[in-house]
Amino acid sequence: MTEAARQPAPYSDTPEEREFELRSAIGSYWTGGRLFIGIWAFFFASLAFAYFYLRSNNSGQLWRPPNATAPTSLGWAIFAVVFASALLVIYGQRRLRGGSFVDWQVAGWVGLLGGLLAIGLQIYQMTRLPFYPGSSGYASCFIGWAVMNLMMLFSGVYWLETILANSIRLNRAEGPDASPATSSSPASQLFRANLDSCTYFWGFMAFVSALFWVFFYLI
Amino acid sequence: MAVTEQRDDEVVYPDPTPPVRGGFQGWPSRPGWISQHIGTAAVLAVLGYLLGHWLGNVIGSGYSNVANSGENSIAVTGGLVLGVAGWLLGIGALNYPLAKMAGIEPRPDYETTHWSRYLRYTTDHKVVGLQYVIGVLTFLFTGGLLAMAIRTELLSPTTHVFGPGTYIAIVSEHGTVMMMMATSVIVGPLGNWLVPLMIGARRTAFPRIEAFSFWIFTAGYLVIMTALFYGGFPTGWTGYAPLQTQAGVGMMSYLVGFAVIGIGMIAAGFNLGATIVNYRAPGMTWGRIPIFVWSILATCALLTLATPTLVAAGLFGILDHTAQTAFYVTEHGGSSFLWQNLFWFFGHPEVYIMALPGFGIVGEILPVFTRKPLFAYKVAAAGMVGVALLSFFVWQHHLFQSGINPDMRPLFMLTTELISIPTGFIYLVGLGTLYKAKIRFEVPMLFALALFFNFLIGGVTGVFLSDVPVNVTVHGSFFVLAHFHYTIMGGLIFAFFGGLYYWLPKMTGKTMNKKLGQWHFWTMFIFFNMTFFPMFLIGLLGQPRRVFEYAHNLQALNDFSSVSAFLLGASFLIFIANFVWSIFIKPTPAPANPWDSLGLEWQTPTPVPYYNFARIPVVLSDPYHYSEENAPAVADLGEPELVSVGAAAEQGNPDQRPEQTEGLA
Amino acid sequence: MTESGTDSGGTVSTSGTDSAAPVRHPRHFLRMFLIWIVIAVVADVLFYVLAGPHIPPGTMTSSASSNQFDFNILLIIALPVMLAVWVYLAYAVIMWRASNKDAPEPVGGPQARSNLGVQIGWIATTTVIVMGLFVFGTVELIANQGSGGGEGASPIWTPTSGSVLPVQVIAQQWKFTYRYPTFGGFQSQELILPNNTSIAFHVTSLDVIHDFWAYQLSIKADANPQQDNVAFTTTHETGSVTVRCDELCGIWHGAMYNYGKVVSKSAFETWAKSTEAANAANTKLLPPMAWTYVPDANGADGGYYPDSTDPYSPSEVYGAKQAAS
Repeated sequence: MTEAARQPAPYSDTPEEREFELRSAIGSYWTGGRLFIGIWAFFFASLAFAYFYLRSNNSGQLWRPPNATAPTSLGWAIFAVVFASALLVIYGQRRLRGGSFVDWQVAGWVGLLGGLLAIGLQIYQMTRLPFYPGSSGYASCFIGWAVMNLMMLFSGVYWLETILANSIRLNRAEGPDASPATSSSPASQLFRANLDSCTYFWGFMAFVSALFWVFFYLI
Repeated sequence: MAVTEQRDDEVVYPDPTPPVRGGFQGWPSRPGWISQHIGTAAVLAVLGYLLGHWLGNVIGSGYSNVANSGENSIAVTGGLVLGVAGWLLGIGALNYPLAKMAGIEPRPDYETTHWSRYLRYTTDHKVVGLQYVIGVLTFLFTGGLLAMAIRTELLSPTTHVFGPGTYIAIVSEHGTVMMMMATSVIVGPLGNWLVPLMIGARRTAFPRIEAFSFWIFTAGYLVIMTALFYGGFPTGWTGYAPLQTQAGVGMMSYLVGFAVIGIGMIAAGFNLGATIVNYRAPGMTWGRIPIFVWSILATCALLTLATPTLVAAGLFGILDHTAQTAFYVTEHGGSSFLWQNLFWFFGHPEVYIMALPGFGIVGEILPVFTRKPLFAYKVAAAGMVGVALLSFFVWQHHLFQSGINPDMRPLFMLTTELISIPTGFIYLVGLGTLYKAKIRFEVPMLFALALFFNFLIGGVTGVFLSDVPVNVTVHGSFFVLAHFHYTIMGGLIFAFFGGLYYWLPKMTGKTMNKKLGQWHFWTMFIFFNMTFFPMFLIGLLGQPRRVFEYAHNLQALNDFSSVSAFLLGASFLIFIANFVWSIFIKPTPAPANPWDSLGLEWQTPTPVPYYNFARIPVVLSDPYHYSEENAPAVADLGEPELVSVGAAAEQGNPDQRPEQTEGLA
Repeated sequence: MTESGTDSGGTVSTSGTDSAAPVRHPRHFLRMFLIWIVIAVVADVLFYVLAGPHIPPGTMTSSASSNQFDFNILLIIALPVMLAVWVYLAYAVIMWRASNKDAPEPVGGPQARSNLGVQIGWIATTTVIVMGLFVFGTVELIANQGSGGGEGASPIWTPTSGSVLPVQVIAQQWKFTYRYPTFGGFQSQELILPNNTSIAFHVTSLDVIHDFWAYQLSIKADANPQQDNVAFTTTHETGSVTVRCDELCGIWHGAMYNYGKVVSKSAFETWAKSTEAANAANTKLLPPMAWTYVPDANGADGGYYPDSTDPYSPSEVYGAKQAAS
């Protein structure tokens, strides 16, 4: 990955060592991806705890006064968009694993747009709330959810965008015959490992969206 | 990248004996005043703060609660958040994340030996480790000065040095600064510096995330220090609502500061965890990794999984203050118990984040200075994992008297008592290693033995606190204070200094003065015990925490404790003197392996090259085969004849054999 | 002189190069055990005899006596444990130091790396001690009506019989006030209590979280706003009481304390009835008696009204068979 001609290598680099470091890097994407999901899982678990704790307390009868529900159609729309985008990303990753780079690019970019749309809808929803933030426990939890959802969506969208951008550059570097989907070059292997982890994260995003859609709109 | 101009202190490859070099990233890539370093970070932080503050005023000034109260939490939060963003932008932490969006490939570090690399954003884990040493010591001494102020106030129950508002701000600041420091005090400097070397790797898994964790750590320090300009926050480091809700804008420093430090902790744990799992050298099975690496691994699990709860709790508090939600406001559908539960769900794993690396350090030091293998290595590793796992199930022992559901109390008493079993394993390991040993009382060994002495008192008094009836007597009093100072300071900080004295010769290439080290140890140990042991009695005799008035008959004990505390503070000056003298003023080069250790990190030359190992080592056994006939070698560091021939061989230095460079830099 | 064999204590073995006389290896564990047992027994006895009866919080109430007893038992167990480690450490530091010419060379190898018996013994011993402490603590907690700790609004360990005197403790920034519901709800700044009586403390707060710590009574209960935190004890001796706030509640937390007394039953009755009569006019101005209070939404007239979800009921008696109304 370096311009070897202009940068002297600081240490002897046998092919075995390079292979070893490549496998370590691929493994790191795997470990890191799972850990990343774990981090967000505990983050949202804290919100879920807050939701159920305040609900069971119902202090001052102010957990959820009569008209305290977030705009339902917007909520459904946000959830649907995130869910659909995650499905697209997963589909795209499977097509990439099957060897089709273009299919993945299309699915990826559309999924990315979906993520951006979800972010926009979520911000819009925050301006359309029928309640003040401090008027009930539900309201507070909902504002918390909106902020945390935005953080999660931003992370997923950013991650996917960087992978998409990187893959375009890799595709050019691979030349006309190969693509990052089929090439066995170290950069492409790393790219595929990175994409695998990102796809898991998008699946996780869909799961979290579903869960909190149930909490805030269904029950 | 080609260097068009050479500075006098740069050396460019090839060179038969490459000197220590680090590297950094930033724009533009060459060192100089006009480039990204801590100075630009500071400038952009200030600009970011001003921008955020102004934005917050624009957003918030329309609301009546802001106009009527005269304080705008939105502006302060905006200022702090954008200030942190500016700090990161200024140091260059955001360069590559932004460039990635355009698909630009990563650049390697600009390699240099210039000292300014310590002031920059670098992906060399050794430089990050040393940056953390300075960062952590800055936190420690700041918190220490605040502690001196507290003990000054407590010299008399009636004569007051500070007003009550100032005093409570000092108490809160001391606790928060120390807790922030303590979470990273070993993982940051020693974890980052040592773990790749101990597992035979050349780098960590995510070097940029590692550098980011350091610069966010420093940003967190600056954020928490802004509290002093905002009049402080009155809640102590525990931040209980509704006092938190009642507090003024100083509370934002606490909430934003903890959220920021939390992100740094998650980043550090994330990076080291992925490194330990993936970058172990060939042959480094789980049964061969040093016990320090086990402790860091267990700590990483806690850092990554418990800290998000802190970030969430802090986020809810920030929302309460800025968006006027009611998470912690009982009258509006929230609950002050929610904060308590979220905070302590993080707070208890937090103290094990502090304790476990201390155990790891002691586990490394003991075999070297007893010349015996570590006793019951598997039990030690299992103990650390067990502590990490159990630590998620004990948090309600902080809430025994809170009025929370009473039938949970026997359950949490049980889990807390149970966690003392794996915590005790380090004693089994330590005492077993000392059995029929040949103890050399070097300075690191003194600190390690002191941990056993201090943590015993701290740990046993923890068992007292976990007993609910006794908890009624001692909760919230100076007894608790003494307990956690004995475990955190008596355990962790002593282990930290032991680790510093032990590894600084390798980290800096300079020898620390032994006489000064001994003076430091004995004064610190004696005055530490003289300061905190009386606090058990003070607490039993009825003095609560965080007070500035107390019963007259306790003044003698308080004065004894205060004077000892001043002397304890002075003992740190001996360390500073030693540090500055030995490293900067009159350095003596250190041999490659002054303590005669079998650890893999000691098999490198001193100073350690940028790439750690000329060849990735093949590990043959664990590093604890002391005093054993026909013990296997720890690792095969690569014989020159075995190097595979190829283009790579011409570029490196196949004739350099690390094991030949002992005794000289 | 090299060691042959790697036993842990005193066995006799011959060294390789010396004469036929057997070499007695020092019995380390026996020595340590003897030193330890002597010191531990002496320490425990000294503690129990000299310090035990004076350990805080004293014996003024049932919860105080029980908590003092608990502390003493815990310390009697803790002292030998700590002494064992300290004796071992001291022995190691003296006997096995590198500068000690008589110390043999350390021996590594598998026997020095683990010893299944020692490991299992250690784990078993610590588990037994810890489990024993858990059982002991739980029994003490339940048998003493919660040992003086605040049990929340629905206490489960309540006095079993007899009449219970309810006393409400109202914490606010930055003082404690006491109300006596069975005497018309009058208010007092001094905590006066009758001797030989079961008392139920109902602790609540008007603003932030405080903690009612009646030191000599060994009562500690967090005062939470809009919460009723109940703690029980039975008084046994007369004497003076210090009450301190034990949870950081703002800038004057350090100055939040007052005093009280435990007096004889008749003295208490006299005091209560006379104060009730004397304060009757003031008591009418106070908010009606309730277990929790919520600040008036207006705030301008500084009033508090009872939280309608949990009103005070005069027929709510602990230990009696009838349900609260």
